[in-house]
Parts: sequence; structure tokens; C-alpha cells
Amino acid sequence: MIERIDAEKCIGCGQCVRLCPLDALRLNEEGKAYIAYPEDCMTCFICERACPSGALYVHPFKEQLPSVFPDSDA
Amino acid sequence: MNYDAEVITTDVLIIGGGSAGLWAAKRFSEAAPERSALIVDKGPKDWGGLMTMAGGDFDAVLPGEDVDAWVQDLVYYFDGLCNQSDMEEILRRSGDRLRDYQKFGCEFFTKADGTLQSVPQRGLDHVRLYPAKLKGRGGELMVKNLVKQLKDQKVGRLGRIQITELLRHGERIAGAVGFDTLSGKFYVFHAQAVILATGMGGWKTSYGKNTPTGEGVALGYGAGARLMHFEFGRVWNMPRYFGWEGQTTLMPLGGRFINALGESFMDKYSPILGANTDPHYTTIAMAMEIRAGRGPIYFDLSRINPADTVLLRPQNGWQKLNYDKLSALGMDLFRDNTEWVPQMTVSYGGIDADIYGRTGVPGLFAAGTACATEPGVYAGGFALMTTSVTGHLAGEGAAAFLQGADSLPSTGQEAEIARLRTEAFKPLGQQGLKPKEVVTCIQRAMFPYDVSILKTENALLHALREIQRIRTEDVPRMAAADPHYLMKLREADAMAFVSELYLRASLARQETRAGHYREDFPQRKGEPRWLLWSKGAEGKPVATWKTVPLESYKHPVTRYYQDNFRFA
Ligand SMILES: Cc1cc2nc3c(=O)[nH]c(=O)nc-3n(C[C@H](O)[C@H](O)[C@H](O)COP(=O)(O)OP(=O)(O)OC[C@H]3O[C@@H](n4cnc5c(N)ncnc54)[C@H](O)[C@@H]3O)c2cc1C
Ligand code: SF4
Ligand code: SF4
Repeated sequence: MIERIDAEKCIGCGQCVRLCPLDALRLNEEGKAYIAYPEDCMTCFICERACPSGALYVHPFKEQLPSVFPDSDA
Repeated sequence: MNYDAEVITTDVLIIGGGSAGLWAAKRFSEAAPERSALIVDKGPKDWGGLMTMAGGDFDAVLPGEDVDAWVQDLVYYFDGLCNQSDMEEILRRSGDRLRDYQKFGCEFFTKADGTLQSVPQRGLDHVRLYPAKLKGRGGELMVKNLVKQLKDQKVGRLGRIQITELLRHGERIAGAVGFDTLSGKFYVFHAQAVILATGMGGWKTSYGKNTPTGEGVALGYGAGARLMHFEFGRVWNMPRYFGWEGQTTLMPLGGRFINALGESFMDKYSPILGANTDPHYTTIAMAMEIRAGRGPIYFDLSRINPADTVLLRPQNGWQKLNYDKLSALGMDLFRDNTEWVPQMTVSYGGIDADIYGRTGVPGLFAAGTACATEPGVYAGGFALMTTSVTGHLAGEGAAAFLQGADSLPSTGQEAEIARLRTEAFKPLGQQGLKPKEVVTCIQRAMFPYDVSILKTENALLHALREIQRIRTEDVPRMAAADPHYLMKLREADAMAFVSELYLRASLARQETRAGHYREDFPQRKGEPRWLLWSKGAEGKPVATWKTVPLESYKHPVTRYYQDNFRFA
């Protein structure tokens, strides 16, 4: 899931905000991207791939979901 | 917040700009160049829906190949539940769409002699896919190239607008309303015809599939369209912790799942097909192994010929980035056994439309995965093919319809529009449940293996009671702090609707066939029948069985794919 956006590196181009399919990211008043709705991320990497300045990091692990089998958290 | 309304008039409104919507727009504007077409999507403008993340594998019957042989494969694969005449028409056009993609600049793998490299699917004799050349970006490039065509054809495209209701003019569908998910602005679209290309319902399980939630299918149902294939859910096997794409090419080349004892368990459940089979059957076996205490399940690629790995190792796109990140964390699918789990992802339930996308509701068309096409079993590359062909045909159908139809006025619905607007924004700014909380409740009810994989009456009834409780108690109590949450709220509502139909349909089909496994009814029963749903008197779903009209089809059902397996 989306883990962090480095404000130092972000140049405020808005690409990640424009392209996130789930609308998880927004620009703040300073024009920097931030994770507005972290719980909606589906780990698609679209934002990170679009970022021209390497400011975003998406962790490859996806959201933990309710169990399929009892006695497991899978 | 700006809650003004914007009114837009177009000849055809296409709801959803995924593979099906893009193709529908393309075909419509070719067939009726004097008319206007507009695509509206709740996601980013021009993002292309799920196709953006797709590998780009594409099934096609190439010139000179026998369409009937493919249909026969599918009659067998679907255990008789194949609409043979529609499937024949779809397959007949599949090679044209592949050629179109090539013309638009998409590249597919070729052999040394320059002909296309194919990968046979699911142990079937003829069905095969053509892998995109750039494994990790195949679908993305398809989107880019298609959108370029639409720009040339002057098709209008809007993003970040979620459609919430259809407009009617008498019997006819006359447009839709929705809102901007960023600004909250209300949108009214007056249209002479509407194409629902909104994708299927689903349960937000990541893996690139958190946008299909079934609102479009629910809108079609509300307008009077019939639905079908709701007893079939796509249970996919995925790595426990991350996403991975490419199984459909790995399995035929020697990839296999093994249990904790190191056994290639599919050899036991299907001595004939072994590991190279449909994920529906693999996930049944996985669930049985895990239940019997022989989990976890691992994916083993050690038997794959090293020369083949060029087809497999992600070269680019999100798959490469994912691969590199996992490697940095010390995880390598090609070196280590990784743990995989079966997981219900999306619903196969959709609108019962004819080959031109006609839904039976005048002016309302449907295309792509918003329609019911497969009964729960699915060959790699099938979706990009069916969605391109059915999108293309729905565009043609809508153009033909408008040729003979009277022109609708864009006035006279003011009171209705005002009502829909109030309705759309009602949950805004209220106190209540968060959409995500409701989504989690739905997932908790739907995911257990005896609801989603090895279905039993008890478990299905238990889940149905919970989903009905969610629909009557939780859904009306949801609130949205802003337009973003308003969109998620609509999605949660549609997910609950899709879940109820899945459960009702799964209970009704008291047999095991194609992608529906009832542990308490493990055998096939009688003639193949489809299960259709329509809106009854008090809005309640009414089920109708329809026997597959084999007497009017070319091919008798002589063999069943399910007979390759022994689970009971
Ligand atoms: C990771 C991944 C890999 C895949 N790989 C392959 C492959 O290699 N080969 C293959 O054949 N298939 C593949 N698939 C499947 C295939 O991509 C999809 O099934 C297909 O693209 C679906 O197309 P569609 O147009 O029917 O639906 P979608 O792509 O879901 O498009 C529906 C669109 O409608 C919009 N929408 C929905 N509701 C509303 C609303 N209420 N208002 C406005 N807009 C709305 C959505 O935002 C979306 O853009 C893959 C899928 C994924 C996720
Ligand atoms: S990974 Fe995908 S869903 Fe998550 S924030 Fe980035 S673009 Fe959005
Ligand atoms: S894409 Fe990168 S630089 Fe641009 S706004 Fe997003 S984080 Fe900032």
C-alpha cells in the first residue's frame, strides 16, 4: 500500500493525484501531494510510476483483508 | 464546496471508459460520425479501467482457424452453459480486434518465423492467448493507443464523475446524472442512448480490482434489465501478501501449486489436467488442502524451462516495479516458493444483453464485463477479447438504434432531476458509518471459504442473513464527509447488492457446474440452465430459470470440463 510521500522531493506536479484510480491522493495548500485516503489504496503503483521526482513509495504488500479460512489471517 | 449543476447533451452517453467503453465509443463514432459520443468515468480521465493494469494477453481466432472448434471448446469448458450463437459471433470478430490493436501500434510476441506466439489455455484444444510483447505494459499501451483513436474521432471524455442514476423519458433511457467526486458538482447528461460499460461487481480485494463494484449493473437492474450469472464469483489464487500477474502464461509452461508436504496436489484432483487448469478448480483444491491441514500452498516454478522465463519475468511496467521491490525485500518468486491463497475477487454476474448490447430496455445498452459472458471459468486473455468485441458491437448497436429512433427532448424532467440531486447528496455531511466499515463487514460475510469456494447451504444462508442485515441496517446509516466518500458510499451500496444476488443465486443453483461448486450438491443436475434475475413487484429480485436452447444450437453437449476433476 502507499506508504509515504517525501515532501522534500515532491515538486507538486500533481501527476499522482491526477492518475490514482482510487482517488487516494490529493494536493495540500502548499501544492504538495499527500495521502488523503490511505485506506482506499489498492497497491497498483500507478502513482509511483508517474512521479517524475521519485517522491512516492508504495510498499508492495497489499491491504490485509478479512479471512477466507478460520484460524488464519489470510 | 461547489454543488452547482452542469448540464451536458450528447447523442450517446457511455458510462465507464474501460476496454468496453473505449471500444463502444470508437465504433459508435465510426458508425455515426455526425453524432456525438461522450465517455464518463468515475476514475481518472482516460485511465482505461482495469485494462491499464492488464498484461495485455488477448484471445483471438485468427483468419483460417475454425470458429466452431473454439465454440466447442467453450461448450465443454462451460459445462454446457454457453450461449453458442453469441459466443460464435464474439469469436468471429476477435481476430479483427487483435488486428486493430496491431494497427494502433500494440505489439504481440512473435516466433522466429514472424508469426504470433500463442499460449494454449486451461488444457483446451483450441482456446489460446497471444501475449503482449511488453509483458508489464501490454494493457497500458492498449489504453494509450485506443484513447489516441478516440481523440482523433473527437469523442468526449470526462473523468472523476460517478454516475448515480439513469434518466428516463417514458419507456426510453434518456441520460444519467452523477457528481464530480472531487468538487461535488452535480452533472446532468441528456442522451439519446446510454451504454453501460461500468464493469462487474466485486469485493475490493486489491490486485488492481478495487474499482469494479457493480453500480452499473445495479443501475441496469433498476431500469428493468435482466441479470445473469450471479452464482459465479471469480476466486483467484494470489500471493498472500502481494499482487502478481502472469499465472495464465506460467501454468501451461510448468508452473504448479504445491501443498505443505511438497505434493503437486492438482495431480490428485485431476490426473488428466494436473496443474494446468482453470483457477476455479485450482482454488477448490487449494481450499480442500488447507482445510485438511495440508496448507499453506506454495507456487513452484522450478519445473519451468529456463529458456521460457523471458516470457515470464516482468520486464517493465508495474509488474517489474513490484518484482524489484519484492526482490529488495528478499522475496523472489522465481527462486523461492511463495505462499498463495484462494481469494474471491469479482462477480461474474452481469446484464443479460444480446450481441449488440441491447438490454431489452429501450435506449439502454451494455457492454464488456457489465454483461454476463462467462459462467465462472475464465481463460487467460478472454476478458480483453470479449470486452473489445462486445464494446465494439454495443457501439454499433447504439448507432443503429439512433438511426430509427425519435429524437428525445432534453426538457421535461426538471422535477425528477431536482429529486435525484437531493437524493444524491443526502448522505453528505451527515454523521454515520464510514463506507469502508461497511465494505469490511461485507467482506467478512462473503470471504469465508464455505461461502465463496466450497459453498454449502448453511454457510450461504448465514451470509445472506448478514448481507440482508447490512443492506437494511448499515447501508442506510452510511454517511460521507466529502464527495470522495460519497463515491465510496455508492460503491459499498452496490457491493452489498451484488453480494445479495451472489448468495441468492448460489443458494438457488443446487448443483455443481462450471464456476459454481456446491459441496452439498457436488454433482451436475439435469439439462444446463441459466439463472436470470429481474426486479420484481416490490423491488425484490425474482429468479427465472432458462434451459439452454440446445435444440437451436449447432453443438450438442457431449463432454464436461468438470468431469476432469474428482473433489467429492
Ligand atoms: C491486474 C490485471 C491484469 C489483467 N490481465 C489481463 C490480460 O492479460 N488479459 C485479459 O484478457 N484480461 C486481463 N485482465 C482483465 C481485463 O483487464 C478486464 O476484465 C477488462 O479490462 C474489463 O473491461 P471493462 O471495460 O468491462 O470493465 P472495467 O475495466 O472495469 O471498466 C469499467 C469502467 O467503468 C467505470 N465505472 C464504474 N462504475 C461507474 C460509475 N458508477 N460511474 C462512472 N464510471 C464508472 C470504472 O471506473 C471503469 O473505468 C486483467 C485485469 C487486471 C486487474
Ligand atoms: S498505489 Fe495505486 S491506488 Fe495506491 S495511491 Fe498509488 S495510484 Fe493510488
Ligand atoms: S507525482 Fe511526485 S512530484 Fe508530482 S505531485 Fe505526486 S509526489 Fe509530487
